[in-house]
Amino acid sequence: MSNQAFLYQPKISEVLKNINRVMIGKDDEALLSVVALLAKGHVLLEDVPGVGKTMLVRTLAKSLDCDFKRIQFTPDLLPSDVTGVSIYNPKTLEFEFRPGPILGNIVLADEINRTSPKTQSALLEGMEETNITVDGEAVPLKSPFFVMATQNPIEYEGTYPLPEAQLDRFLLKLRMGYPSEKQEMEMLARTSGSHPIHEVEAVISREELVSLQKEVEEVYVDSTVHRYIVDLVTGTRKHEGVYLGVSPRGSIALMKAAKAYAFIMDRDYVLPDDVKFLAENVLSHRLILTSEAKFEGATPEDIISDVLSNIAVPVQRNVSE
Amino acid sequence: MNLTPTHQRFYQIAIYICGFLLFMEWLRPLEVIAEFNNVSIFFIYAAFCFFISFIQLNWMLSVPLKLLALLFIIDGLYIGEQIFSRNWFTVIYDQILYNIQVIQGQQWWQMTPMFRSLLFLILLWLMSYLLFYWFIVAKRMFVFVLLTIVFVTVVDTFTIYEGKWAIIRTFTLAVISLGLSHFYKEMERENISFKNMPSSFIWVFPLAGMIILSLLAGYSSPKLTPQWPDPVPFLTSGNPGSGPGGSGGGPVQKVGYGENDSRLGGGFVQDDTPVFQALADDDQYWRIESKDTYTGRGWEDTLDGDTSAVSADDLEFDTVTEEVETEERTSLLNFTGEANFNKLVYPYGAQSLEQFPNNTALELHNYTGEIDTIRDGSVTQVEEYVVEYDMPSFEYNELREAGSEDPEEIEEQYTQLPENLPERVGNLAGQIIEEEDNRYDQAKAVEAFFAANDFEYSTEDIEVPEDNEDYVDQFLFDTKVGYCDNFSTSMVVLLRSQGIPARWVKGFTGGEPTNETQSINGESLNEYEVTSGNAHSWVEVYFPEVGWVPFEPTQGFSNNTDFYLDVESDSESDSDTNGEDEEDSSNSDENDPSNPNQQEQEEDLDSEDDESAAAGGNNSQLPQWITAGLVLTLASIIFFTRFRLMAAYYERQLKKKQDQDTFERAFIFLLKALEKRDLKRHSNQTLRDFAGRVDARYQTNEMRQLTNYYERVLYRNETNQKQMSKVTELWENLIKKALS
Repeated sequence: MSNQAFLYQPKISEVLKNINRVMIGKDDEALLSVVALLAKGHVLLEDVPGVGKTMLVRTLAKSLDCDFKRIQFTPDLLPSDVTGVSIYNPKTLEFEFRPGPILGNIVLADEINRTSPKTQSALLEGMEETNITVDGEAVPLKSPFFVMATQNPIEYEGTYPLPEAQLDRFLLKLRMGYPSEKQEMEMLARTSGSHPIHEVEAVISREELVSLQKEVEEVYVDSTVHRYIVDLVTGTRKHEGVYLGVSPRGSIALMKAAKAYAFIMDRDYVLPDDVKFLAENVLSHRLILTSEAKFEGATPEDIISDVLSNIAVPVQRNVSE
Repeated sequence: MNLTPTHQRFYQIAIYICGFLLFMEWLRPLEVIAEFNNVSIFFIYAAFCFFISFIQLNWMLSVPLKLLALLFIIDGLYIGEQIFSRNWFTVIYDQILYNIQVIQGQQWWQMTPMFRSLLFLILLWLMSYLLFYWFIVAKRMFVFVLLTIVFVTVVDTFTIYEGKWAIIRTFTLAVISLGLSHFYKEMERENISFKNMPSSFIWVFPLAGMIILSLLAGYSSPKLTPQWPDPVPFLTSGNPGSGPGGSGGGPVQKVGYGENDSRLGGGFVQDDTPVFQALADDDQYWRIESKDTYTGRGWEDTLDGDTSAVSADDLEFDTVTEEVETEERTSLLNFTGEANFNKLVYPYGAQSLEQFPNNTALELHNYTGEIDTIRDGSVTQVEEYVVEYDMPSFEYNELREAGSEDPEEIEEQYTQLPENLPERVGNLAGQIIEEEDNRYDQAKAVEAFFAANDFEYSTEDIEVPEDNEDYVDQFLFDTKVGYCDNFSTSMVVLLRSQGIPARWVKGFTGGEPTNETQSINGESLNEYEVTSGNAHSWVEVYFPEVGWVPFEPTQGFSNNTDFYLDVESDSESDSDTNGEDEEDSSNSDENDPSNPNQQEQEEDLDSEDDESAAAGGNNSQLPQWITAGLVLTLASIIFFTRFRLMAAYYERQLKKKQDQDTFERAFIFLLKALEKRDLKRHSNQTLRDFAGRVDARYQTNEMRQLTNYYERVLYRNETNQKQMSKVTELWENLIKKALS
């Protein structure tokens, strides 16, 4: 009874093993990516270049038997480069729609803040809706549809930072971080021969993935956990260092992510532990701090951990308000 | 555990019975030291509660059962109304209300016997739970055994309770129960099976042998006489200013019945020399004589000369008229002790003497009621005689309606006061009775005045008035500390200053019951021992057409006279006295005619611990201290074991109910218990994290398992009856760890 609870769901366990084979010491990031995948959300990877953002996405995509597309965002990229474009076919005398990279299952949007807001919104529209508009016509997106966007926080020159409203559309924001020295040495050893990514094989088919996503939706969330989520979100709104707190969309995101996480943990109900574990990644990019707080060096992550340590975990039913 | 259920049951029953008998040792002394006449009722109730606890009835059943039994006892002892009738509930309600007020006012003495008994019964009830937990659930009885022995020795040392056999009984029970429980625990621990052994009870013989041997050895071996002097006088002598030669400033007398009351005051030392033994139905006052003239210093007898010879068949002395209701009773008095007493001691309503020696003549002092026993021309002591008497009972309304038209003779003799009585005494009396419109309520108001104004009962350091001081004035306005003479004299003087005829009466209180009974003329009577320490004085107030009615103003004593309320005449008087009485703040509780039952109980003191008050007054207030200490000890025991008690409660609940709610509460309780062990869950910590910490401390994974189950219950809203037994086991293990 006790050990079961700490095991991963078997299918997901395979995926995580794959990623672990390629990436060293990125268990949490891998896990969180899968959380977003199962929760039908999208991930924003924010870190300096070269820490394995792209590798993580590629390994994940390879583990799933899905259509993988990659868009390298540049300042001159046009929306049609994302969505696709209709081209005149002289043979048929008709315009034919050539689907863009957004019509894949797993989309890597590299350096999303390098392109103009116009192009950014072409991608972001697709992330929120289930279809995109090309030449005035709605084109349905594929299912599953999973975007992993990366952005580089160092360079600001010639970048178009994503507005807060659009950041809200990412379920999670991840940071990769540097590996430890030991991990880095192991990484060198592994990549000396052929890159391990070439040995990765798909372990989940597209249909399986869709059904897993359905199962995630079935995960039970008790009202006590609802209360906990609401308490946390309200906590961010009331925090003195916060100018704009987490939106209701943030609460929904936290619950969805928690469901997916619980499912990965092979449980069919959500624990406050799940919520707690995910809160930082789900909520921190949805906050705008006050200038005073920023001046004092506070980060959104600090605010979230502050809120987490102040909000009581519900351990009893019928606790009076 | 390899014990068969039958075995287990046998051990449990045996241990539990030992526990019950040990507990009885706590109740037994109460009969003597607190003069509980109905102690057997409490025995029975305790047994009942213990039994209910043992069979582990559902609380839905056991609580009402115990409550019902409690109410029946209260009803039987105190309430005359039809049980569960409207009036009955009113009485209960009034009583509780009144007592709560008293408690709030910290006037502990004013608590009614009924309320005290109620509290005591509830205490017994709680004890049954506690001991059940100690003996059956926790199987730890050493503390209780030790406490019992300490209690018995303390009671033996400081009170008249003779603890010799109690110690032997306690010792035997202690060894048996400790032996049994040790054996039982050992078998559990070592998983010893007795199934295959031919006789599982063979071990009884060595245990029994050990007990008998040690008992015999202990009993027959020579014992040292006490190495210390009796600690009670030793302790009190340490207090400067008390006892002989103290700085009290007054002559220290020895308590006892004295002849000369012309100069009252000064402290006295206790003297427990027996004067006589009495066989009587109840604890009742023994009258000897009254005095009529107050001099400002004490009492004189100006009417003493008027004597007449009377025969033993008809004493010709009545304190009440024929209109007063009486009950025929018999008492036997025996003066074989050291005291030489040559006056007739008689109860109120004495009619005739039996078994009275023929050669002894009786001379009655017509006004005082003093009856001298004379043989061959000189006063002498009669060793034993039987008194036939008609015990008077007074009806409230008759007293209230008696009016104030006194015969001239009475008025003249019994409203006398010295000329130099300070005016403020009269003024005070006027204030006290201002609100009352009839003599009875006026007398009651004066009687209650002392208790309401913090007058203290003490026999030590009592001042003797200076030549220019008045004895009553000094007591009422300066010292406010005194004994019966101060209180009774003051009451008489206060009444007289308002023109109410009253006189000062001397005699003895009822004495200590010896718990033996004897049969006289077919009646079974209780034996009381009356000592010099029981010498007492009180007040009689004259009511036209009724006669002299005794009142008891002394703090810590209570009026044993029987008052009753004739319900039929009640309603009329109710309406006209009600209003005034409620306004009387000092006194409204005492005299509120809307609650006659309470009053009746308060005054109808033939049972219960009010006698302890009477006894307590003379023999220091030790029994009350012991009772208070007992209650305090028990309360603190309950307080300090509350976690264990709660644990036992939840354990039973879990086993019985097996539902989500119970489990939830039990789990939360476990968290609280762990908190006591320095394992506090921070409010932002999830259960799972906390479980990890707990398990790390105790080197198990039980908390994680239990938490996992609890998570399913709470966060998944799931109930899985199948796992409940496993869960209960986990919970028990953890709570044991948390409470160990």
